[in-house]
Amino acid sequence: MAKDIVQVNDLQVWFPVRRGFVESLTSKEQRYVKAVDGVSFNIKEREIFCLVGESGCGKTTTGKAILRLVEPTGGVVKYAGVGLTPALIKEAATEAVSRKHLGREEAEKDVAMGAVDVRNLAKDKMKLLRQKMQIIFQDPYESLNPKQSIYDIVAEPLVVNNLGANEAEREKRVHKALDDAGLRPPKDFMWRYPHEVSGGQRQRVGIAGALVLQPAFLVADEPVSMLDVSIRSEILKLMLDLREKKGLTYLFITHDLSVAYVFSDRIGIMYLGKIVELGPTEEVIKGPMHPYTKALISVVPKPDPRMKTEKIILKGERPDPAHIPPGCRFHPRCPYAMERCKTEEPQPMFVSQEHWVSCWLVSGEGKA
Amino acid sequence: MALLEVTGLKTYFKTQEGTLKAVDGIDFNLEKGQAMGLAGESGCGKTTAALSIMKLLPANGYIAGGKINFMGQDMSQVTGDKLRAIRWRDISIIFQGAMNALNPVKRVGDQITEPILLHEKVDEEVALKRVKELFELVGINPNRIREYPHEFSGGMRQRVMIAMALACRPKLVICDEPTTALDVMIQAQILQLLKNLQQELELAMIIISHDLSVLAETCELLSIMYAGKIVERSTAVEVFANPQHPYTKGLIAAFPNIKGARKMPQSIAGNPPNLIHAPKGCRFAERCYAAQDICKTEEPPLVEVLPGHYAACHFVKEQR
Repeated sequence: MAKDIVQVNDLQVWFPVRRGFVESLTSKEQRYVKAVDGVSFNIKEREIFCLVGESGCGKTTTGKAILRLVEPTGGVVKYAGVGLTPALIKEAATEAVSRKHLGREEAEKDVAMGAVDVRNLAKDKMKLLRQKMQIIFQDPYESLNPKQSIYDIVAEPLVVNNLGANEAEREKRVHKALDDAGLRPPKDFMWRYPHEVSGGQRQRVGIAGALVLQPAFLVADEPVSMLDVSIRSEILKLMLDLREKKGLTYLFITHDLSVAYVFSDRIGIMYLGKIVELGPTEEVIKGPMHPYTKALISVVPKPDPRMKTEKIILKGERPDPAHIPPGCRFHPRCPYAMERCKTEEPQPMFVSQEHWVSCWLVSGEGKA
Repeated sequence: MALLEVTGLKTYFKTQEGTLKAVDGIDFNLEKGQAMGLAGESGCGKTTAALSIMKLLPANGYIAGGKINFMGQDMSQVTGDKLRAIRWRDISIIFQGAMNALNPVKRVGDQITEPILLHEKVDEEVALKRVKELFELVGINPNRIREYPHEFSGGMRQRVMIAMALACRPKLVICDEPTTALDVMIQAQILQLLKNLQQELELAMIIISHDLSVLAETCELLSIMYAGKIVERSTAVEVFANPQHPYTKGLIAAFPNIKGARKMPQSIAGNPPNLIHAPKGCRFAERCYAAQDICKTEEPPLVEVLPGHYAACHFVKEQR
């Protein structure tokens, strides 16, 4: 069985809410926006794991927290891919124990496994590791600097990380990255500016910027949602290709279930800072167990007017992560909510070997 | 007579590099109470076509030819006060990114009464009463008319925009990408609302979207645009069941279907042509899998392939 490249355990990212003057006098307790509130999953080598949810559910924050582009406030994120040295692993383990993030035993196990808890790496070490853990951003129209040539954009990670002995070698690596990203021949693209290429090509530039560091793990944050449908699958196919050729592992973040359905190996459905259902993609899409998953699947527009399906349209909008409801966090919008859901939070329950769901309908009394 | 008859509409833009032919000769009809979807990739001219109907083109854009017959008047000739009287009273539009189109420093109620007071001789009290009715119609609590846009969520702001478009009881509403920036769940709510309103109020609607699946759910008629031309046009069911033009086929195949088999959708290789120097012949030829020599020299006309089903391709055969 393939080993886990990334393990996320009970990850928390809480942002403190600034208190007003009066509030601070009345010494009300500190409130938090709980963007990510106890998320656990693992990603196997060469796997595409997909996080799906509405905007504001914390899926992007989860992706960023894994790379420590935002600092996690709790939980453990372990990385066990290439780019680790024994010294680095040891250092992180010692730090984890001294900060009481891990018990001594577990830390020793990690050292033996060659995994490192990224939360316990010093900033400069994390920067080093981030060469192997890269991110592709959502909007290729806004994430590229319009005043930089494509060469400069793709070469920047090399400059920042002090890689490439001289300009000639850098050019060689940029050339290679552009070629890998499907911008061929690279010479035709290198000296152009972002406005001179199409949307799909821009996203390829973004991918080349990540590839130039030869990463092992990529967080892809909605990489196709800003692109025209006619070119989306080109980018998805490129990503599949790169997995084949370079053995990449992906965390794919999207709000579009139909893209997740055709592209990912396993899928996690997020709602308000938590994963409510997780399993192999086909199993989750064809046999959803959580009422939220069922509703999400039912409202995906079908590209065929002859397909009339029953839609479960949830009332209201996404609730506020600063005020998470007690009990099951989905209960105010759930069509099947019972008394128990209002007070007790359901725990993950396995419905098959790799498919679990957090819902009282599944784990408690009553039928789904 | 149809509510809206567009014949040979051409809308061009003057640019530094030359004349950009954004819309280059399109025809369609719309009856009262019908919803038509206008689909295509970005830059295909679908928004320009809609803006031409309301004559809301930017300063460098102009209608270079054709007729837009709306309720017996040629919109391409109407100007000044006469045009102002028609806009919003008879035709209104829900803009793309509508959630950001509201004035942030005016109460939403006041923003909606504005067109009512401009077009009808009523006092403010009557207008506000109408706004409350409109809010109820689109599913917002009528007590919220005194709130500001920032107090509404994205989906609610979109509802406000819909209420505003309906303020003067128009015959035709143009929706430009009405759900593009919204979450799937909110998208489903808004699409259902639009569909209900269209049926209840017998509205004619033109819905513009790059997302065929959104149009499949809401529209009776469907026109597919490519590079300034309509390449296929029929009822939505017919277009999906029996697509004729290679571009339409490609577009449909580009959609992942969550109810279908789990396979990677097809993409259409290449990019749309530059509309300043539009290619001779069929504009899709460069990206078309079935292109022959004739496609590069002769432009295919839009012909009726099946009753009520039009396509512009040299290789579609009349099937009746």
